[in-house]
Amino acid sequence: MSLLTVSNLTKSYRCGSKTIAAVDDVSFHIDPGETLALAGPSGSGKSTIARLVLRLIEPDAGRIEFEGNDFLALSGAALRARRTRLQMVFQDPLAAFNPRATVARVLDDPLRIHGIAARAERPRRIAALLERVGLTADVAPRAIHEISGGQRQRVAIARAIATKPSLIVLDEAVSALDVSVRGQILELLLDLQRQERIAYVFISHDLGVVRAIAHRVVLLEGGQIAESGDARTVIDAPQSAIGKALVAAAPRLNRIRP
Amino acid sequence: MTALASIRDLTVTYRRDGNEVAALKTINLDIVAGERLAIIGESGSGKSTLALAIAGLMPRSSRIEGRVDWLLPSSPSSGAKAPLGGRDIGFVFQDPSASLDPVMTVGKQIAEVAYTHLGLTWPQAYAKAKSLLERVRLPDPDSALQAFPHQLSGGQKQRIAIAAAIAAGPKLLIADEATSALDTILQAEIVALIRRLVAEDGMTLLFISHDIALAAELAERIAVFRHGELLELGMTAQIVGAPTQAYTRTLLDAHIGLDAAPLLNRAGLDA
Amino acid sequence: MSPLRCFLRTPEAVAGAILLAALIAMALSAALLFPGDPQAIAGPALLPPFQDWSLPLGTDRLGRDVLAELFHGARTSLAVGLAAAAAALAIGSVVGTLAGFAGGLVDEVLMRITDAFQTVPGFLLALAFVSVVGPSLGIVVIAIALGTWPGPARVARAEVLSIRERDYVAGARVIGMHPLAIAFREVLPNALPPVLAMSSVIVAAAILTEAALSFLGLGDPNRVTWGGMIAEGRAVLRTAPFLSIVPGIALVLTVLGVYLAGEGIVETTAVRRGLS
Repeated sequence: MSLLTVSNLTKSYRCGSKTIAAVDDVSFHIDPGETLALAGPSGSGKSTIARLVLRLIEPDAGRIEFEGNDFLALSGAALRARRTRLQMVFQDPLAAFNPRATVARVLDDPLRIHGIAARAERPRRIAALLERVGLTADVAPRAIHEISGGQRQRVAIARAIATKPSLIVLDEAVSALDVSVRGQILELLLDLQRQERIAYVFISHDLGVVRAIAHRVVLLEGGQIAESGDARTVIDAPQSAIGKALVAAAPRLNRIRP
Repeated sequence: MTALASIRDLTVTYRRDGNEVAALKTINLDIVAGERLAIIGESGSGKSTLALAIAGLMPRSSRIEGRVDWLLPSSPSSGAKAPLGGRDIGFVFQDPSASLDPVMTVGKQIAEVAYTHLGLTWPQAYAKAKSLLERVRLPDPDSALQAFPHQLSGGQKQRIAIAAAIAAGPKLLIADEATSALDTILQAEIVALIRRLVAEDGMTLLFISHDIALAAELAERIAVFRHGELLELGMTAQIVGAPTQAYTRTLLDAHIGLDAAPLLNRAGLDA
Repeated sequence: MSPLRCFLRTPEAVAGAILLAALIAMALSAALLFPGDPQAIAGPALLPPFQDWSLPLGTDRLGRDVLAELFHGARTSLAVGLAAAAAALAIGSVVGTLAGFAGGLVDEVLMRITDAFQTVPGFLLALAFVSVVGPSLGIVVIAIALGTWPGPARVARAEVLSIRERDYVAGARVIGMHPLAIAFREVLPNALPPVLAMSSVIVAAAILTEAALSFLGLGDPNRVTWGGMIAEGRAVLRTAPFLSIVPGIALVLTVLGVYLAGEGIVETTAVRRGLS
């Protein structure tokens, strides 16, 4: 049974007198432990889908079924409790945290809110989370703005896994990182997936990264699905116009290499 | 091979909370007239500081040592004369929304550069602005002249920022992460646009980027920066094919192209 | 650079700090230097200033020590000004945050209430409130705050409207934080700086409103206030103008000091934000 099933999801925005469909009748599913990439140019609706799936915004129409339940039917405390299973990592880790927060507070929040660990036990749990994402416990007291971009994204991942989710939405989660850091973060994500069987919705406009880490890909254009299938099959031989354009636009080192 | 600018022992230090932080350490670099030179580095490498220092846009709180000597064919007493930002150097920033004035029409912003630096009348400057919008391939340049920046998309705004940067016919165009905020398709379009404009006007290009693959497609020479130092400088084919520095090799290996070996261990899931 | 040294860079801020420090010193030392009741008779009536060095600023119509009154009046002015401003800022921030963060009907209702308070002139509101409830220090504070909170509420709401779209608010929702916790733990602290920047104007206005209420005889009758002193002196304005002038100058210097120091703080935070 699939972990997440999205059916006929639709969301439009009113812009002056015009109505713009940001997401137009989109359906897809994700299995446990799988990585599904949503790829497309800016304005293709991939980030709107992420926010719809996380119930940060409400759809105009469609169904979202998560872990066998109607996710759209939940509200209030029931929705907040279910959020433990469905987490998100944002593109800019600096914007994703309260500018006044410390690392320890950021990781303490989910543990406290969901009663995952008693107050006395939390510092130990925070240290364990930090170690799990390749950091040391001594970064805990530091302010979010003091640590490096790569460390911040590791903290964001630690916060996402604190509630033991089955699905994490990664919204351009490696796009803003230095290239040398990006590889390490991707390795960490893959390692977590192998160990904990976490599924990912991987949102990106970079087909190179998508091809390297996703099982399947959904290519989007103008809020609609242009093409979908096995990530390597689709990217190695795209059929849709947008797929061909994305592949053609990707920078290639081997064109220069002798 | 004549140098448009020769940078000698350039050291830039910022003061932050009483501490001196060196952003650039004794940089020696010649920018050859008419070349496309890429400056590659990660965050904290000093690549943007270099761009600002060359353009004379450093904040007053910084301390600059060393020299940047210019050989500008345009200025009559060519030699050590400092170039003028906007006239001799065009600058394109990463975020076009931040570099365009939100309450001024696009046409006025471009025309202003031509009016200020080329001594044109306003009608002439507006005509120049229109022809520039055609050159940067903005659809419907007539209505774009009257548009405000928020009415345009990110890619269109960056085209306008480029039009404003080249309005006075600069000798040097500096693009500082000019495509980093755009998606892959727009990035390729803007790179192609920059390449065409630089060739048509015989400009020298300084292309600042964190993306070595992107830079390699555009530049003839690549300079690799790290922690404020110039690590390696060479022709693109040499840097990409046979880098001398381990760090350059790391950057090249970190590039995940369409032909990269998948990181994903499929057996892990199927098992 | 330390915040204090940064703050004391501009001459205006230094002047403001000196004036405020003098005022606070006056308020704190009032009970020490003039331990008795400042409203007790201390000498002959209407003694001009600089005549008798035990009563340096002379006496009023009833023979009360003007200097002692001035010191004790500083306490009232400062206490009422600060308390009223703090109450106005607290009410304003909470209302503004709730309105901006909740949106929809809550926003509509709260902002219409804010409109209602803002359309009535603040001084008139305070006047009416004190006349009905009766003058006492606490009532004067509430009366002034009632007319002042809509300003901070509007600023807080505008700031919250921009903050609630930030990623970290979305991030707090994703981890399942309660909406009220998000509003007051994540949003409010980050919306405060522009609200606090208004505090100098609000404190200064509160001190003036308190003086005006006292001048009209609506201040706490058991306390010396500068407004009350000016009102006292009005009856003998021709023969003994110093009775009105001395507390008037104190009032002007206080408001000036609050303004200048407030400007300095705004400058300091702006500079520090620009540096980071």
